[in-house]
Amino acid sequence: MRFLALTGFQAALLALITAGAIVGLYFLKLRHRRLVIASSLLWGRVLDERQAQSLWEKLRRVISILAAVLIGLLIALAVARPEVQLLTGGVEPTLLVLDTSPSMLARTSDGSTRWDHAVEAALRTVNASAPSSEFRVADTAGRIDAALTADRREIRQAIERMKPVAGTPRFPEKDPETVHVRFITDGVVPVSLPRGTIRESVFEEADNVAITAFEIRATATSALAYEAYLEIHNYGTRDRETHLTISGTGGQQIERTLNLKAGGEFGGPFDLSKFEGGGVRATIQAGGDALSLDDVAFAYLPIDRTAKTLLVTNGSPYLEALLKLDPLVDLTIIKPTQYQPDPSFDAYVFDGFAPANPPPRPALLIGEIPNATWLPQSRGSLLKPRFATWTEDHPVMRYVSLHDVALERAVRIDNTGSEVLAESADRAPLILASPEQQRPRWVLMAFSLKNSDFPLHSGFPLFVDNALGWLSREALAVRKQPGMISVPLAQAEIRQLNGDLTESHSRGNATIFEAVEPGLYVATHEDTRQYIAVNLASPQYSNLNKTVSLKDRPAALSAGWLQQELWVYMIGAAVLLLVAEWFTYHRGVTV
Amino acid sequence: MATNTVSLFDDEFLKKLEYLSILSKRLFAGQLKAERRAMRRGTGLEFADYRQYVAGDDFRHLDWKAYLRLNKLILRLFEEEEDLPIYMFVDASQSMSYGNPSKFDYARRVAAALCYIGLSNLDRVNVVAYANRVKGELQPQRGKGRIFRVFKFLEEMTTGGETNARESFKTYCTETRRRGLCVVISDFFDTSGFQSGLDILRHFKHDIFILHVASHEEVDPALKGELVLVDSENNVSREVTVTPSLLASYKAEYHRFCTDIESYCSKYQLGYVRTVTDFPFEELVLKVFRQGRFLK
Repeated sequence: MRFLALTGFQAALLALITAGAIVGLYFLKLRHRRLVIASSLLWGRVLDERQAQSLWEKLRRVISILAAVLIGLLIALAVARPEVQLLTGGVEPTLLVLDTSPSMLARTSDGSTRWDHAVEAALRTVNASAPSSEFRVADTAGRIDAALTADRREIRQAIERMKPVAGTPRFPEKDPETVHVRFITDGVVPVSLPRGTIRESVFEEADNVAITAFEIRATATSALAYEAYLEIHNYGTRDRETHLTISGTGGQQIERTLNLKAGGEFGGPFDLSKFEGGGVRATIQAGGDALSLDDVAFAYLPIDRTAKTLLVTNGSPYLEALLKLDPLVDLTIIKPTQYQPDPSFDAYVFDGFAPANPPPRPALLIGEIPNATWLPQSRGSLLKPRFATWTEDHPVMRYVSLHDVALERAVRIDNTGSEVLAESADRAPLILASPEQQRPRWVLMAFSLKNSDFPLHSGFPLFVDNALGWLSREALAVRKQPGMISVPLAQAEIRQLNGDLTESHSRGNATIFEAVEPGLYVATHEDTRQYIAVNLASPQYSNLNKTVSLKDRPAALSAGWLQQELWVYMIGAAVLLLVAEWFTYHRGVTV
Repeated sequence: MATNTVSLFDDEFLKKLEYLSILSKRLFAGQLKAERRAMRRGTGLEFADYRQYVAGDDFRHLDWKAYLRLNKLILRLFEEEEDLPIYMFVDASQSMSYGNPSKFDYARRVAAALCYIGLSNLDRVNVVAYANRVKGELQPQRGKGRIFRVFKFLEEMTTGGETNARESFKTYCTETRRRGLCVVISDFFDTSGFQSGLDILRHFKHDIFILHVASHEEVDPALKGELVLVDSENNVSREVTVTPSLLASYKAEYHRFCTDIESYCSKYQLGYVRTVTDFPFEELVLKVFRQGRFLK
C-alpha cells in the first residue's frame, strides 16, 4: 500500500491518533448515567438470561468499538489517498493508443459506435488504474500524442479530443520508459505494432455499403466533356438494394437503384454532359448501413467557359491558326511592341518575346526568348537536340507524345527551381513549367516553332490546349480523404460548398485545414482558386468486417477491480458503516 | 418520609371506613368479645345449639323448659363473639421508597386505613414494619381511639435495608402469637424469593392477604440508552443498554413475577390484590378491596 497525499509515517501516525481518539471518546461515551431503581432483581434476571443466551450480547461492545474505530480509520486513511496495487493494478507507465481510423465510426448493435466503445474502454482503463499510474495517450492519426502524465483530467481531455479521421495510420513511437503498450482498435486498418503491444478489440460485425471511388474526369474526346466515375461496394453479408443519387448544383440528378449482392460491387461512368459546372454530390442509401461516412462523395465539375487569351507575336501562322480554331479561346493578337500588362486577359501566349516583368496572368512562352528575371536564365544554345524523356503525369503533358519531334536549335536553360516536363538526352530541359505554387504560372518551350517540326505533330495542339487549360481553366478538384488536408496555396481561405468558412492555418506555401467529414471545399487566395473534394472512398476503411482483431480480447475487460480511487470507496464504506451504526445504535443493537 | 396524618385521611373518608369491616375467610378464636363469630361456643347472645349436660357445665345455660318436657338436662349453647387479631406487615425496605408517590407512602396509607377499619370493628391490630428483620412493632391496639397511635407509628416508620421477609416473619411468628389475619403490604422484591416469607405465615396457620404495591416506573419503565442501574437496597450496579427489546423482556419478566405471586396466592387461597401507586388511594380501599372480598 502506498499513500499519495501523505508519507507512510504520516499516514500511520494519523491512523494511530484517529484510533486512539475514537477509543478514548468511546470510553468517555460509556460513562453511563447512573439511575437508582427499586431493585435490580428483575433486571438482573433479564440481563443474565440475555447474556447467557446471546453471543452477540457478549461481543457487541467489542464490535461497536471496532466499528467506530473502523469508520475513523477509513476516513483518516481516505485523506491519505491510499493505493493498493492488488486492487488498483500496477503503476508502470502505459502507452495507450486509440485507433482513429474512419472504420471506428461504424455503428454497433447497441446503437453507439466502435469509437464510443473505444473511448469508453480507454477511460475505464485509466479510471481503473492506480491513481499514480502514468499514461501517454495517443491516436493513430498523429493528431493527439499527449505527454506521459498521471493527471487523470489531462488524460481524459486528450482522449476526448480524439476523433476518427482518414489517413495513413501510424502507431506512435514507444518511449524507453513505457512499460505497457495497449492498443484499442477494431483491427480493420492494419497498423504495425511494437513488440509486446496488447491489442484490445472493439470489433463487432457490421454491414456496410460504401462509395469506394468517385471522381470527375475529362473524356478523351474533348477537354470540356466530363464524366463521373463511381464505384460502390457491398461489404455486408447480405444482398442489399441500394439507391444511388448523383446531383449537381443546377438541380440535375441521376438516380439509380442497384441490387448489390453480398460482397458484390458496382462500378461505371456517368455522363455529366447535362450538368452545370459546380459541385457534384453522390449519395447512396441502403438499409442497415453501419457507416454513413462512406455513403456520400463529392467532386467538382469545372465550369464551361472560354479563356480570354492574348497572343504576343511577330507572326506565327501555326500558332495563330491553332488558337483561332480553339473554341475555348477568345484570342487577341498583338505585336511585342504593343504589349502592356492587362489583367483582363485570362492567359498570355508569348512567342519569341518575354516581358521584363511577370505578366498579371499565366503565360505560355515559346521560342528563344530574351532573359527575364522572373524566368529561368538561358545559358547558350543547343544544336539539334532530341527529346529523350518527358513526363506524362503533368497536366500539360497529358496525352502528348514527343516521339520523332525534330529540333533544329534550342536554348540551354538553367532549370533551377522549375519543373522539367521534357528534356534532351544530355538532360537539357526543353520544356519547363513553373512550380505548382508559383503565381503567375508559366510554361516555357526552349525552342521556337520555326526551328522545329513540332507544329506538324499531333501532340502540338494537345500540348497547347493542355498548357492553356493548366494555365487558365478551372482545374478539377483535388481528391483528399477526411483529416488534416494540405492545399498547395499559401494563406488561402477555405470555405465549404455552402460558403461556411473553415478554420485553416498557413504553413509555408501551403494552407492546412481539417476536414472531419466528406465535403467539397474551395481554397481561395487572391484570384487563384482550388477545389478540394474530401471523400472517404476507400475500400480499406469501408470493409468493416475485414479485421485482424477477431481473436483479440474485448477492450477494457482487463481493467482493475476498482473504477475510482480507493479513497472514494473508503469514504463510501465509512458512510455506510456510519449509517448502519446510527441505525443499530438507536435501536440498541450496538452501544 | 413522614406523612401528615391530616392529609392521610379526612373525616369524610374515615366515616366511610367505619362501615366497612374486615371480612375474614376463617373464623378465629379471640380472647375478648367482639363483633366477630368464633368457632368456640360461648357466652354470646346468639343461640347456636343444644347438647347433653355434663358435670361441670354452667347450669345457668340449662334449658329448663326442655327438662320439664323431656325430663333430660339439655344445655343451650351460644355463639362466642371474639375479636380478630390483625397483623399488618408493612414492607419498610429501601425499595419501598421508590416511585412517585413512593410505594412506602402508599403502603402506609393503606395500612392506616385497614388499621382504622380493624380498630373500628374492635379487632386487635398489630402493625409490624419489616425489612431484613422486624424493624418495629406496634403492640396490639383495640378500639377506634387507638388509631392515632397507629398513625404515629406509621409516621415514624422509615425505609432502609434489604428485604428478607422470611427472617422477619419467622422472628415475629415464633414468639407466642395468636393466629389471625396477616396483611402483607410489599413490593415483594425479596432476593430470597417472595414465597419463603409467605410460607412462614402459612406454616403458622395465619389467614393471609397480600397487597402487592408497585410503582408505575417499575411496571412500565421509561428507560432508554446507556445506564447504570443501581439497586436501591444493596447498591449493586449493572451497566445496561436499554433497548426496546430489552424493555420488552423486562416487562415480560415483571409480568411473570406478578403472575407467580398471583399463582402462589391462588394455589394457597390467599387474598391478593395488586396495585400501582398512581392508582387513586380511595378507590383502592373502597372498590378494589370490595372486589377482592377483603371488605364487606
